[in-house]
Amino acid sequence: MTAAPIIAASRLTLRPHVVSDFPAFAAFFATDAARFIGGPLPERRAWSGFAADAGSWALLGFGAWAVEVAATGEFVGQVGLTRPPHFPERELGWIVFPRFQRSGYGTEAARAARDYAFGTLGWTTVVSYINRENTASLALARSLGAVEDDAAARWDVKDAVYRHTSPQVRE
Amino acid sequence: MTVAPSIETDRLNLWPQRRADFEAYGEFYASERARLMGGPLDRTWSWYAFAADAGNWSLLGFGGLTIEDRASGTALGQVALNLPPHSPERELGWLVFAPAEGKGVAFEAARAMRDYAYATLGWTTCVSFISPDNVRSLALAQRLGAVYDPHGESIHEERVIFRHPAPKVRA
Repeated sequence: MTAAPIIAASRLTLRPHVVSDFPAFAAFFATDAARFIGGPLPERRAWSGFAADAGSWALLGFGAWAVEVAATGEFVGQVGLTRPPHFPERELGWIVFPRFQRSGYGTEAARAARDYAFGTLGWTTVVSYINRENTASLALARSLGAVEDDAAARWDVKDAVYRHTSPQVRE
Repeated sequence: MTVAPSIETDRLNLWPQRRADFEAYGEFYASERARLMGGPLDRTWSWYAFAADAGNWSLLGFGGLTIEDRASGTALGQVALNLPPHSPERELGWLVFAPAEGKGVAFEAARAMRDYAYATLGWTTCVSFISPDNVRSLALAQRLGAVYDPHGESIHEERVIFRHPAPKVRA
């Protein structure tokens, strides 16, 4: 797999990123809204992060998807399965642009990506690194059934680690 | 969806980047040698740069390739075609790890990549943005037939522009 596969969720489509997604991504990373996930970032750095999420598919066999509303094509954010070398484990991450927050889109997209990891990729576990002040993201992780794992390694001490476990392991 | 090609030259293979190629790349970008190429970068940001070069194939239709010695399979460096959104035009770039310097590796790889850009992608021009202090890269650009372009717009105030000769018109 060298590019993200298209996944249809109930209200959303997960699809490969295209260059025209970048302005919205860069605009988000330019603001304080990105403070919990490494921002604010200048455009040049935001591009590296954006293109790296696409490149992750070719290098690692997993990566990020752009998330859009199926009915309207509106670009609402992204979800990703990532493992940059500074992450102790593979991560499930998500970004929901501010005007689409509280829509449930983040939960729906993250669930679809998690199901892909457990189903298609056969992973048994994946974590989400979340800044302890990022209450919206903490709530999203809990709504997916992830459980805080105090013992898990993390690269940023300000992060909580939420662990998702494959239902096949839980049974 | 473009996938990175494999290109063979006399002594080299230009291959799609692999995860394992990152170790040498990350080491290069962590070193003082990368000072004239946007470095030094920590391991996190060198990963994003590396993975972005891989992701560019799906986003832009061109990107980075690892330079490998055909005889030994050793990774010697990287060549890339690039056009990040903050760049005024398409660029041909190269980097060679310390053990491979001074052997014409970058010349052979960059010429093959330029041929690919002209013959396969149909580019009619391309530039290299080079630090005026990067003596080796300036010499290589000139050896490739590129000439200093004082009129073009540069990606960065600390980079001069070398414009490569246009493709030969086929009879």
